[in-house]
Amino acid sequence: VNAQARRREGGSVRYTSIATILTVLAVDATGFALVGGSWLWAGPPRDWFALGVLCVLGVTSWMLRETDVGARVQLSFTSIIMLAAAVIVGPVGAGIVGAVSTVIHLGNEKITVRLFNVGMFTCIATLGALVYTWTGGVAHAQGVTGAADLLVRVGVPLLFADLAQCLTNAVALALILRVAGGVPMRMQTWKLLSTTGPAYVGYSVIGFLFVVLWIPAHVGWFSAVLVLAPLFVARWAFGQYGDELRAHDRTLRALVTAVETKDPHNAGHSERVAQLSEWLAEALGLGHKEIQEIRTAGMLHDIGKVGVPTRLLRPRRELTDEELVVIADHALGGVDLVRGIDFLAGSVDGIAHHHERFDGLGYPSALSGADIPLVARIVAVADVFDALTTARSYRPACHAEEAMEQVRQRGGTQFDPQIVEALNRVLVRHEWAPTDRSAELLASAGVALDHDEPEVSDLFAHRPDLRGGLRLTLPHPVQPVGGRP
Amino acid sequence: MRALRRLTLDLRLPVALMAASVAALSAWFARADVGKLTGTTWLHLGLFFLAIALGETARLTVLTSRETAPMSTAAALGLSLSALPMPAGTSIGPAVVIVTICAGMLVGTTVLRLGGAAVGWGDTAARVVGAAVAPVLYRYVPFQGHTLLAWQIRWDEHRWIVGIVMVLVGAVTMLAALSLEAAVRAGRDHAPLLPAVADEVRATAWLATALVTSGALIALAEFAVGIAALPLFLFPLILTYFAVRRFATIRTTYRQTIGALSSLTERAGYTGPDHAERVTRTSVAVGRDLGMGQRDLTDLEYAALLHDLGQVALRDPIPHGATVMAAPADQQRIAHDGAEIVRSTGVLDKVATILEAQTTPYRQVREFGQDLPMASRIIKVANAYDDLSGPDGENEARAMERIHLGLGYEYDPEVVDALTRVLQRRRRATPTSPT
Repeated sequence: VNAQARRREGGSVRYTSIATILTVLAVDATGFALVGGSWLWAGPPRDWFALGVLCVLGVTSWMLRETDVGARVQLSFTSIIMLAAAVIVGPVGAGIVGAVSTVIHLGNEKITVRLFNVGMFTCIATLGALVYTWTGGVAHAQGVTGAADLLVRVGVPLLFADLAQCLTNAVALALILRVAGGVPMRMQTWKLLSTTGPAYVGYSVIGFLFVVLWIPAHVGWFSAVLVLAPLFVARWAFGQYGDELRAHDRTLRALVTAVETKDPHNAGHSERVAQLSEWLAEALGLGHKEIQEIRTAGMLHDIGKVGVPTRLLRPRRELTDEELVVIADHALGGVDLVRGIDFLAGSVDGIAHHHERFDGLGYPSALSGADIPLVARIVAVADVFDALTTARSYRPACHAEEAMEQVRQRGGTQFDPQIVEALNRVLVRHEWAPTDRSAELLASAGVALDHDEPEVSDLFAHRPDLRGGLRLTLPHPVQPVGGRP
Repeated sequence: MRALRRLTLDLRLPVALMAASVAALSAWFARADVGKLTGTTWLHLGLFFLAIALGETARLTVLTSRETAPMSTAAALGLSLSALPMPAGTSIGPAVVIVTICAGMLVGTTVLRLGGAAVGWGDTAARVVGAAVAPVLYRYVPFQGHTLLAWQIRWDEHRWIVGIVMVLVGAVTMLAALSLEAAVRAGRDHAPLLPAVADEVRATAWLATALVTSGALIALAEFAVGIAALPLFLFPLILTYFAVRRFATIRTTYRQTIGALSSLTERAGYTGPDHAERVTRTSVAVGRDLGMGQRDLTDLEYAALLHDLGQVALRDPIPHGATVMAAPADQQRIAHDGAEIVRSTGVLDKVATILEAQTTPYRQVREFGQDLPMASRIIKVANAYDDLSGPDGENEARAMERIHLGLGYEYDPEVVDALTRVLQRRRRATPTSPT
C-alpha cells in the first residue's frame, strides 16, 4: 500500500494529464459501484458502533503509515483494519472503512492523489470482504467456536480476502502508473506483488487474530488496543532502525572525510569512486546487497592512507622506493582499520585488493585473473578512471573519452576486460565530468605521481623487489616512517 | 533528596535470595494443587513451560547492556492471567503457575549457558521474582472477597473490562520486574539505584507495552481458542522481536564504526595504543557512578572514543599524543577540528558539542556560569588521568596528585571524586599488582 505513497513523493508520477484524471474517476466509480452493489446484495453494515471504531482505527493507521525505512521495509496497518472489517461489519462496512480511512488526511495532499486513494481503498476493502463471503467466510463469525472451526470458517477465507486485497492493490497502482508515467503495467504489477506479498501474508494472520479477539473472545473494541500495540512497537523499532542506519551511513562518510583532511587535494575522490563502482556493479547486473557492498568498498578503498605520513602524501620531490612501499601499504592498512566492523565484511576484499592487476603483477597479494575478488576488480577500474579524470600538478585532467581509451588499452593487463566493457556501458548511460582543481590545491599536492596513476602500477609490475618489500599478511598497526620534527 | 538520588546499594544477593525463596515456597504450596490437575491442564502447563523456556533462549539486547527475553516474559504473563481448563468450580492457584514459570526460565537459561552464551543468573533471578507478581495479584490477592480470576468469570458480558484489568496487572508486574532488573544491573555497575531504575523504565517502556499487551492477548484468547492462543498471539510479538533485533544489530555496527573512527589517530601514529579505549572505559565508569542515563552514557561513550579525532588534521604528531601536555590553544584547536569532523555527519550533534567543550576548564562554570556538559568534564578528567598515568597506570598516584592540583580550577571536583571511587574499585578487583 505504501508503495503508492513512495512513488508520489518521488515525483515520478505527474497527475496532470486528462487520462490520469479519467482513470482516477473510473477507480472511484468502481469503488462506489462495488459498495452500492454490496448494499443491495448483502444489506447495510450490521454494527454501526463497530463501524465507527474501525473507521477511527483506519484513519489513525493511514495517518501513521509513512514508515519507509530505506531497506524496503514497510508496515501498513490499514490493510489489517480492512481485513477485520470484512468479518466484523461486512462488505459495505469494509468499503466505508476503506473510504473514510483515506479521505480524512491532515496536511496538504493533491486532490487527485486523495481521490485515487479513496477509490482504490474502497475497491480493495469491498472486494476483500466479498471474496471473504464467497470463499465460505461466516459473516460476523456467528456461531463459530473452537480453534479448528475458526481456522477453517474464518481464517482460510480471510487469507483469500487478503490475497484479493494484495492483487487489487498491485493492479490499481500499476494501472495509474501506466497511465500517468508510462511504466509497463505487467512488469509493475509483478514488482509490486513481489515486494508487498510477504507483508500481506503477515497482515492476514494479524487480521485473523483481531477478529478472533473481537468476536469469539468477546473483547470487542478493546481488542484493537491489544492487537495493535505490539505492532506499533514493531513500527517504532523499524523507524529507529532506519534512523540508525542513516546515521551509520553518514558516520562512515565522516571516516572518509577525516582521512581526506590529510590530503585535501584528493577530497571527493572516495565519493566519486564509490559512485562509479556502484554504476559498474549495476551494469554487471549484480544484486542489491552486492551493489551496496561494492559501493562501500569504493568509498573506503583508500582509508588506509591514514597510516601514511602526511609529508608523503604532499611530497616536494620524487618519492624514493622506500616511500613508495610505505604508500602501497595503505591497502592492507585500510583492512586493519575496518576489520572489526561486521557490517563491512563484504567490502574488506575490495579495500585489500584494489591495487591487484589482472596479469598478477599487482600488490599486495599478486593475485591474477578471477582470483582477484570481483569487488576489487571493480574498484580498481573505478579508482584509476577517476584518477585519470582528475587534474594533477603535472598534467591537466583527462576527458572521459581519453581516460576510457587509456583504461581500454590496459584491459587484460592491469584490468579485467569484462569490467572495462562495463565501464564503457556506464559512460554511455551516465555523464562523467572531469575534476578540475584550484592552482592553490594543486600546488599543495606536491610534484610526485599520484599512487593511483597507471604508470605507478606499471612501475610496481616491473619491480618485483618493490612488491617484495610489502608485508603480505596483516600483522599490526602501521608505524609512520619518521614524521616527528 | 540528593542523598537518596546518590544512594548506591548492591541488591544482587537479596534478589537472588528472593528468587530462591519464591521458587521454594511455590513448590511447597504447589504440592497440594498437583492432585487436582487433569490431563488437559497438564498439557496446557507443559506448552506454556515450553514457550517460556524457548522464549528464554531468544534474548534481545536493548541499548548496549539490557538483556531481555520478550517471548518468555509475555508467555509467563499469559499463563499468569489465563483461566486454564479446570473442572467447574475449581481454579489453579498461583503456586503451580509460579513453579511452571520458574522451571521454564531456569531450563531456558541453563540451555543458553550450556550453549556457551555469557548470560548472568542475576537477570534471570530478577525476572523470576518479577514474573511471580502477576500470579499472586491475579490469582491470590482478594479484591472485595474474590480474586481477579474469579471476577473474570463474573464479567463475562464485559470482557473488555477484563482486558483492562489484565493490562493493569501486567503493567504492575513489568514495573516490578524492570525495577529489580535495574537494581541488579546497578549493583553490578556500581551505579546509583534510583536513577538506574528510572532510566530502565524509560528506556524499555516501549518493549514493556508490547509484552504486557501480548500477555493479555494470550490470556483473553485462551477463552475462545484454547491453547492455540499461545502460538497465535505470540506472533505479533515475534514480529516486534525481529524489528527490535534489527535495531540492536545496527546499533552494534554503529558502535564498531565509531570505534574504527576512533582508532584513526592511533593508526596514524598520533596517539598511543588503546588510549581512546581506555579513556572511554574510565569515562563510562565515571558516568555510571554519577548516575547518568543510558542515552547520555552512549553520547559520552562516543565522545570519549572520538576525543582525539581532531589530531588527524595535524601535520606532525604531538609527542606521545598526550594532549594534556599541549598548549591550551593547540588543545582547543584539536578539540574544534574533531568536533567539526563529527558535526559533518549531521547526526552526532550532541557528541560534537561535548567534544567542543572537552578542553574548557571547570572554572568557566564557577566564575562565568558557563553551561559545560557533564560529559565534557568527565572526558577532560579521564583524558588527563590516562595521559599522566601512562598506559599501564603505573603512575597512578602521581597522576591523581596532578589532577588534585587542578581541582576546582581545571577539573570538576565531583567528577574527580567519582574517578577516585572508580579507581578504588578497580584496585579491589585486581588485588595485587606486581611491585
